[in-house]
Amino acid sequence: MATPDQKSPNVLLQNLCCRILGRSEADVAQQFQFAVRVIGSNFAPTVERDEFLVAEKIKKELIRQRREADAALFSELHRKLHSQGVLKNKWSILYLLLNLSEDPRKQANKVSSYASLFAQALPRDAHSTPYYYARPQTLPLNYQDRSTQATQSTGSLGSSGISSLGVCGLGGPTPVPQPLLPGQSHQAQGVGDGLRQQLGSRLAWTITANQPSSQTPTSKGFPNTLSRNMTRSRREGDLSGTMEVTEAALVRDILYVFQGIDGKNIKMSSTENCYKVEGKANLNKSLRDTAVRLAELGWLHNKIRKYADQRSLDRSFGLVGQSFCAALHQELKEYYRLLSVLHSQLQLEDDQGVNLGLESSLTLRRLLVWTYDPKIRLKTLAALVDHCQGRKGGELASAVHAYTKTGDPYMRSLVQHILSLVSHPVLSFLYRWIYDGELEDTYHEVAADLFTDLENAFQGKIDAAYFETSKYLLDVLNKKYSLLDHMQAMRRYLLLGQGDFIRHLMDLLKPELVRPATTLYQHNLTGILETAVRATNAQFDSPEILRRLDVRLLEVSPGDTGWDVFSLDYHVDGPIATVFTRECMSHYLRVFNFLWRAKRMEYILTDIRKGHMCNAKLLRNMPEFSGVLHQCHILASEMVHFIHQMQYYVTFEVLECSWDELWNRVQQAQDLDHIIAAHEAFLDAITSRCLLDSASRVLLNQLRAVFDQIIELQNVQDAIYRAALEELQRRLQFEERKKQREVEGQWGVTQVEEEEENRRVREFQDSIPKMCSQLRILTHFYQGVVQQFLVLLTTSSDESLRFLSFRLDFNEHYKAREPRLRVSLGTRGRRSSHT
Amino acid sequence: PTSRSGPVAANLKAVKETMDVLLEISRTLNTGLVMENLSIFVLSCEQGINPEALSSVIEELCKATEALKAAENMTS
Repeated sequence: MATPDQKSPNVLLQNLCCRILGRSEADVAQQFQFAVRVIGSNFAPTVERDEFLVAEKIKKELIRQRREADAALFSELHRKLHSQGVLKNKWSILYLLLNLSEDPRKQANKVSSYASLFAQALPRDAHSTPYYYARPQTLPLNYQDRSTQATQSTGSLGSSGISSLGVCGLGGPTPVPQPLLPGQSHQAQGVGDGLRQQLGSRLAWTITANQPSSQTPTSKGFPNTLSRNMTRSRREGDLSGTMEVTEAALVRDILYVFQGIDGKNIKMSSTENCYKVEGKANLNKSLRDTAVRLAELGWLHNKIRKYADQRSLDRSFGLVGQSFCAALHQELKEYYRLLSVLHSQLQLEDDQGVNLGLESSLTLRRLLVWTYDPKIRLKTLAALVDHCQGRKGGELASAVHAYTKTGDPYMRSLVQHILSLVSHPVLSFLYRWIYDGELEDTYHEVAADLFTDLENAFQGKIDAAYFETSKYLLDVLNKKYSLLDHMQAMRRYLLLGQGDFIRHLMDLLKPELVRPATTLYQHNLTGILETAVRATNAQFDSPEILRRLDVRLLEVSPGDTGWDVFSLDYHVDGPIATVFTRECMSHYLRVFNFLWRAKRMEYILTDIRKGHMCNAKLLRNMPEFSGVLHQCHILASEMVHFIHQMQYYVTFEVLECSWDELWNRVQQAQDLDHIIAAHEAFLDAITSRCLLDSASRVLLNQLRAVFDQIIELQNVQDAIYRAALEELQRRLQFEERKKQREVEGQWGVTQVEEEEENRRVREFQDSIPKMCSQLRILTHFYQGVVQQFLVLLTTSSDESLRFLSFRLDFNEHYKAREPRLRVSLGTRGRRSSHT
Repeated sequence: PTSRSGPVAANLKAVKETMDVLLEISRTLNTGLVMENLSIFVLSCEQGINPEALSSVIEELCKATEALKAAENMTS
C-alpha cells in the first residue's frame, strides 16, 4: 500500500466512483461532480466525533440483530484497534462501516447491495484524460482544508443577487440529490463557492474539449422535468451550411465570454476593447446584436477581475483595499455560481438532447433575461472599480461611500453592503483608537487630515461617551466605595465636626495625655478612642467608617507630653485613594493638629473657669486673696475672649464655608477630575486660612505663643489655688482644733500655737503679692503677644484674617496700648494691599 | 531505494495490523468490502472526509449503478 497514501481525497473519491459504477474515470464525470458537491457542502459532521459512542452504536446494532457473539467479537476487535495508534479518525471509519453494514437476516435483493458492488475490483484503464480529470486535487474537500478557507458568510441581502436564479439546493446532513431545476430556492452558503467557481470554469473546458458523442444516457436517475416546465422555442438557425453559426454554438461561446474566455466566434478585440462576433460568420443580425449585448457582461467581468487580481498582489494595499477586493471576489463568486448553473444546464442538454432531438432551453434571449440583474450588479461594481482606481485607505472608503448616494435601491443596497465591508477596518481602527488609545495604521490608510475630520465629526460622540463613562465612574465610586460618605467622615473626625465625640474623647484622654509622650501606648489610646465612639453619636456611623478611624502617635521629641504627639488618623485604601491621596491626608492631619490644639485651649480655659466657680465660694473667707483671684479672673476672661473669637473664625469662616463650597461642587461634579480638583481647592483654602501654609508661619508662631501663655496661666492658677486651698485647709483645721479643745474644757489655743498660726498666716499673706506680681507679669506678657498677633493680622493679605483682628480687638482695648494698631480700618485695608 | 530501517518496518507492520482488524470488523458488520475498497474508505476518512456525506454519496452511487444496470439490461 505504498502509493495510495499520497492520494488526495478527490482522487480517492474518483476511484470510489469508478469502482462503484464499474466504469473508467472518463465516464464517471457526472457522478464524480455530484459526489464532490455533496462532500463539499457537508464537510462538518453532525454526529459526535467519539469513537466509543460509535462503537457502542455498532454493538447495539449487532445485539439488535441477535448476534451477541458477533458483538463480543467486535468488542474484542475494537479493543485491538484502539490499542494501535495508527489511525487518527477511528470514529470516522467505524461510522462509515456501520452505515454500510447489512443485516444478514434481510434478503439480499435490495437494489443497493453494496456487497455485490464493492466486491469487484476493477482494472484501471490507462486513458489520456482531459485537463479536467488530471487536476482534481485542487478541489478542497476535507474538513480541515475547508475550515482554513472558511469565508465569512455575509448573509446580507445585498450579496445574493446573482444566484437568486436558483441552483440545486443541498441542505442538511443527508443530502438528497435534486435535479437541476432552475427556480428552486438556493440556500446561500459561502462554502461551496470556491468549488463551484472552479467547477464552472472547468466545465467550460469539458464542453469544448470532450464532446460526448455517443454517450448512453446515464442520467436516468435525474428526471428530466425541463421538458415539462419549459416551453420550447424552435431552434433557430436550423439551416444547412457549415459556415452557419448556430444559436447553440453562440450560446456556448457566450458562456465562455461571460467568464472572460474567448469563444470560437466571439472574441475580445483589444483595439476596440470590446467583444466582437467574427465578421465572417454568417449570422442573423438579431442574433449578432443579442450576442454582443450579452458579451458586455464578460467585459464587465474582466474589468472587475483584473482590478481585484491586481490589487490582491499589491502588498501595501492596506486593509481597506483588501476588504474591497474581498467584497469584489465575493460578488464574482456569486456570478460564477450562476455561470455554473448555466453550464450544467447546457451539459444536461448535451447529454440527453442529442439523441432525443429535444430543443435547447438555453437561447440567447433567455440568457438576456436571466443575466439582466447580474448585469446591473456587475455594472455597479465596474463603476465602483473605476471610481476607486488608485485610491486606498480612507480615500477608498469615501469613494465607495460617494456611490451610496443613488436613487436606485438595488444599487444602493449593493454599494452599502460593500461599504459596510470596506469600512470594517476603519471602524476597528477607530474603536481601538478611542477605547484603547492606540493608533495602529500599518498601511497608512487613515490620513492625518481625515483623522481630524473624523475627530471633529465624532467630537459629539466622544464627549457623550466621556460623559457617560464619567457618570458611571462616579456612580460606582459613590455607591460601592462611598466616596462622599468618607469625605463627610473626614469632616466629622479629622476636622472635629462631631462635637460631642471630640469633647468626650478629650475628657477621656486628659489624664493620659498629660503624661510624658514616651510613656504612652498606642493600644491604650485606641481603647479610649473606641470608648469615646461607643458613648457618643459616633457609634451610629457605619462600621466601614469607624473601622478606618484610628489613633496615630507622632514622632516624639524630648520633653513632649502626650498632647504634643497625639493625633487621629483615617485609613484610606482602594479607589477612594484617588481623591484622598497621601498628600491630602497629610494636609488633613496638619489641620487636625491645629484644630485639636485650639480645642485644647478652649478646654483649658473651661477648666480654669470651672476652677474659679468651684473655689470662689470656698475662698470667700480669705479676703486678702480676692485681689489675686480677681486678677486671675480678668486674665482668664481675656484669654477666653481671644480663643472664642479664634474658634469662631476657624469653625465658621474657615471650615464651614469651605466645606459648603466643596460639597456643592462635589454634588454637581460630572467626573472624577472635578471632585479631585474641588477637594484639593478645599484643602488649600483651609490650610492657608488656618495659618498652616508657609506664608503664615510667623502668624502661626505668634498664635502658638498665645497658646503657650494660656497653658502658663493654667499652671500658675493651679499653683495659686493649691496654695490657697492648702492655707484654707490649715486654717480650718486650726479652728477645728480650737473648737474641739473648747468642747473638751481646755483652753482653745495655747499661746505658742496661736503665735505659730499667726506667723503662718502672715507668711501666707506675704506670698500673696508674689502671686499678684506673677499674674501681672503673665498678663503683661500675654497682652504683648496678642498685640503682636493683631499687628500681624492687620497686615495679612487675607481679608478674613483682617476682619478677625477687628473682632479680636472690638473694643480697641489693644489699640489703646499699641500705637501700630492705631490705624483706621480703611487705611488698614489699603495699606495691606501695598504689602 | 530507501533502506528499511526498524521504525519504518514497524510502522508498516502496525498499519497492516490495523487494516486486518478493520477488515475483520467490516466482515463482522457484513459490509462485503474487500481490502482494496476498504483501504480507500480508510484513507478518505483519515484525510478528514465527513463519513456521513461519504456514506450518502455511496448510497446514491449505488442507486445510480442500479439504474445503469437496469437500463443496460433493457437495451441489451
